[in-house]
Amino acid sequence: MSEIVTIALLGQPNSGKSTLFNTLTGLRQHVGNWPGKTVEKKEGSFSYNGRIYDIEDLPGSYSLSANSDEEVITRDFIASGRADVVCILADSSQLDRSLFMTADYAGINVPCFLVLNMEDVAKEQGKRIDINIIEKNLGIPVVLFSANDKKDYDPFYKVLERAVADKPMINTSILEAGYDKISGYKEIKEMIPEGLIDGYSSMWIAIKALENDPVVMERLRESLDPAKTDRIDSLRDSIQGAVETGGAKFSWIDSVLEGAVSEKTEKITLSRLDRIYTDKTWGKPAVVLTILSGLILSFIPALPLMGVGMAVSALKAPVGKLLFSAGCPEIIISIINSVIIQSFSYIFQMLGFVFGVTLVFGLLEEVGIMARVSYVFDNTMGKLGLQGKSVMPFLISFGCTMGGAAGSRVIDNWGQKVLTIALAWAVPCGAAWSVVPMLSTLFFGPGAVLVIIAILLTMLLHMWITAKVFGRKLITKENRYGMIMEMPPYHKPKWGALLRYVLGRTKDTFVRVTRVVLVVCTLFWLLSYSFVSGSDPVLYRIGMAIEPVTKIFGLNWKLFMAFVASSIGKEGALGVISALFNGGNFYGAFSDAMSGAAVASDLNDTLISNVTKPEALAFIFAITFNMPCVVALAATYQEIHSVKWTAKIAGYYTIGALLLAAIVYHIGILIW
Amino acid sequence: MKLTELKENDIAVVSGLSGDDRFISRITSIGLTPGSRLTVIKNDKNRPMLVYSRDTMIALNQKECSGIEVTEVGA
Repeated sequence: MSEIVTIALLGQPNSGKSTLFNTLTGLRQHVGNWPGKTVEKKEGSFSYNGRIYDIEDLPGSYSLSANSDEEVITRDFIASGRADVVCILADSSQLDRSLFMTADYAGINVPCFLVLNMEDVAKEQGKRIDINIIEKNLGIPVVLFSANDKKDYDPFYKVLERAVADKPMINTSILEAGYDKISGYKEIKEMIPEGLIDGYSSMWIAIKALENDPVVMERLRESLDPAKTDRIDSLRDSIQGAVETGGAKFSWIDSVLEGAVSEKTEKITLSRLDRIYTDKTWGKPAVVLTILSGLILSFIPALPLMGVGMAVSALKAPVGKLLFSAGCPEIIISIINSVIIQSFSYIFQMLGFVFGVTLVFGLLEEVGIMARVSYVFDNTMGKLGLQGKSVMPFLISFGCTMGGAAGSRVIDNWGQKVLTIALAWAVPCGAAWSVVPMLSTLFFGPGAVLVIIAILLTMLLHMWITAKVFGRKLITKENRYGMIMEMPPYHKPKWGALLRYVLGRTKDTFVRVTRVVLVVCTLFWLLSYSFVSGSDPVLYRIGMAIEPVTKIFGLNWKLFMAFVASSIGKEGALGVISALFNGGNFYGAFSDAMSGAAVASDLNDTLISNVTKPEALAFIFAITFNMPCVVALAATYQEIHSVKWTAKIAGYYTIGALLLAAIVYHIGILIW
Repeated sequence: MKLTELKENDIAVVSGLSGDDRFISRITSIGLTPGSRLTVIKNDKNRPMLVYSRDTMIALNQKECSGIEVTEVGA
């Protein structure tokens, strides 16, 4: 058989949709954006029994209303008929609530089948589910299984094949009998001819009209008499339409489940872990401790790849020597060393970290801890327009900003994800902490403590201002709602599914990040290489030319060059200073510093005799709040899929760092 | 009475919802419709409320759940 079948996955967050998607597709998946939208689009494919299936992971949403881009995209995709069959997911352990999506779907004219996921959790809770009854009541194939158990997929494939062959639709007669009891429903339905909007039955449209669905109402206004739509508006306003339809949907769910679920009723109590996480006093420390332990743990799987990265960097000298003795021109050796080897050294070190962070924080999410993080920090992060989970990337960024960016993928709203990363950049990373205290102590002695306190306070202020600057655009009013979400029960992690996911993600990151890092490193090389021997590189000439301007920020050209270098990697800043103040060759200074060359032993004396205190302060602030590094830039692009926003954030930080430098420089002049 | 006035371990039935379309849609889709029964698990200041309903532990921002009216049925 040669035809390709397209299936779409539909389910609420926490229904195990990603696990199913990842297990089905393995590494055959691609992450991008929906055209013209900022919502992540995940596609993949798999084959079973000689047939190829394309699979579309629809954005997670709670219902099929039109309150967010995610929901509209989901609805439009289904109604467009591009999917041959829709796979609806529900959580067997919370069957009643999670069948809401199915109830909201009923009335869409696209074949579907139902997956009752997390059979294992339901079993643990002592629930027994009779799928034959549910199947008979719904009129579509139903499968009960656990998506995290790869050995358990046969029943899923069987039901999928049945659905593809039979093209089943949900039986809506009992549902509609319930809708009939809502005052005004029948009158509205009669006004709507069948087939008015492709893909939807008139029942479905009438219900959405009662719910005041903006998209449906607009379509009705376009195609019906104004008298009719006015009548719909007044019928809806006389009752609480959405409350009534919601009630009817749940009554129908109750009737579908009648006699199908047997369970022991037990008293609900918080688990011991939840009692700690939800404690008023201990909740926050417990969450912070969990995240920090996660950060430390993520170094363990990261180390091998990071080692590879360092080994790649060490290739420079032997490769250079070899090429030189083979008579290779110096420019080629320079490109190979400064661009290619350097880039891949960065990339591998970064991949190690991305792998570790994705694994550990993916684990925390799968186990259910991430939902508790959201709960504990909901109020605090809500003030910035963010979800409680955003606290996690912030904490990771004290270690490494690219880890913070990679960790932000647990935030399911794009705008909040971008803002979280934008704020995480303000958190001084490990590299900054390795440079800043040293410089501060050198110039200010015990006063270094004050400098570090000032940096931490500036960080908080920076985050607050950045949230104001970018927040309005990124987070629309409808996303500024407080938390309404379920706390999933804790799950045992399934390592196979998790590893498949992490490997897929790391591979994806590798491809994207390689491009960004190569481009930036090439650009940097072009600017800092002297093409005609004895002539000065472009960057040097620019630095000299604009020195009068950079002096306003307290940075002479040497410090400014070190600042520029710090946007590629903060560790490089000291090396550049060391070489430039010792009269080193400009290009050599950059190239060596970036690969971690030793800082001259007399750096301290050189600095003290050449740099004033206000200049030092300006420099410290400038490199701390500068763009974190080129890999953080690449990781940011990888997560947010937007060149425009990545550039915006990078530009904002470069300018912001210089402004901060100017401010502290002038304060410094007043003091000293 | 309002949901937020309940204390830990109180049991109540949702009697009414008020708020904008988005709120109604969201709260309905998580299962808190009029007539549904819930147990308050936690209600601390400056933290979302935790309620248990339809086999689900639900966290609700204090401000958001001021639109939920309930009738207490016991503790």
